[in-house]
Amino acid sequence: MAAPEPPPAEGCRPLGALLAGIAQAAYHGNAAVTEELLRQQLYPEAAPEEFRALRAKMGGLLQSIASADMDLNQLEAFLTAQTKKQGGITSDQAAVIAKFWKNHRLKIHESLINQSRWDNVLKNMSWRVDLKSQSRHVDQINTPVAIVEMELGKNGQESEFLCLEFDEAKVSQMLKKLSEIEESMTLLTQTT
Amino acid sequence: MAAGSAVVRALEALDVGGAADKINLIPQDFFAELCEQIIQYLNQKIPGVNVAELCQRIQTSGSEINVGDLAKVANIVSFLFSTAARNNLSTEELVTTLGNTVSALPKHAVQVIRHVWNEQGKSVSVSEDARNMSTVGQFVDMKWKLGVAMSSDTCRSLKYPYVTVTLKVADPSGQITDKSFEMTIPQFKNFFRQFKEMAAVLETV
Repeated sequence: MAAPEPPPAEGCRPLGALLAGIAQAAYHGNAAVTEELLRQQLYPEAAPEEFRALRAKMGGLLQSIASADMDLNQLEAFLTAQTKKQGGITSDQAAVIAKFWKNHRLKIHESLINQSRWDNVLKNMSWRVDLKSQSRHVDQINTPVAIVEMELGKNGQESEFLCLEFDEAKVSQMLKKLSEIEESMTLLTQTT
Repeated sequence: MAAGSAVVRALEALDVGGAADKINLIPQDFFAELCEQIIQYLNQKIPGVNVAELCQRIQTSGSEINVGDLAKVANIVSFLFSTAARNNLSTEELVTTLGNTVSALPKHAVQVIRHVWNEQGKSVSVSEDARNMSTVGQFVDMKWKLGVAMSSDTCRSLKYPYVTVTLKVADPSGQITDKSFEMTIPQFKNFFRQFKEMAAVLETV
């Protein structure tokens, strides 16, 4: 049998907002969204301990869902099981959680991916084409070269700017390698 | 003679004498290889000198030189050759000048420098703008690998593919270094697209 009903006054509307607040703090690094703030904004009539329990329960559910990056089938099975548990959730709450996850899954997953990227990443890239007008060797005058600027860095650290020159041959060389990568990538997505 | 004394002053400023200790740590054939690479770089035949790789081989042969010191020696030899080129020194002039500045350079080193300069020194042309070539490096080569991150402590089901790229780059002084970074699939697609656009523009210019 379903768990006892939560305080009926609020209904389920603030639950969606609560989930959003929890996600802000846990996955999007927003330290301003505190438990107290959420309680005041969304459940002002609830007692602090009562609210804490609610927040902990919802946070735990969201964590399980996010960690497994659940698809719709897994989500449905998971939430149904939760409605049947002692001290679980109501089917209304399950519906709100499901809707929230459908809307926020991609962003939360992206956030989790970023949290585990510790090496240099390519933050930005820009380029232009110049005509080489001076050179050590006469045969290089008036050949076009691409100047590429890449911003590299680790998450949260200062960037390093790498500025490189590519002539036509080097760009071809690069394109060949990039095609190889693309081929491998296609194979990968076909087999998974 | 004027040209010679300019070189002498330049060498003194660079403390070529102080480099003698470091040069002593390099076995003769490796020192010859280093000088060969440097002059080929100055002749624009190779994109740069791979100091790190050479250092590893030298260390394997038993010498205790470190990468930083080898890089300093490379810089000094490079500077020596380009200064000699700028002043149009003949082989004899170069050797005499070296002798005047640095009595402590090992004989084998002077022999190597003399030989390399004699064979290839004429074709080193150093123009003024070479010094103004700012911070733009040359792309040499690229290595890559494709991986999939499966799990992490914050997420059991990450499952995201990513590409790690290592660019071999020759910096303006000719030294070759590696720069690595990661890209997600969308970032890679954008990277690829940008290079295709570059190729298109280069063709039409």
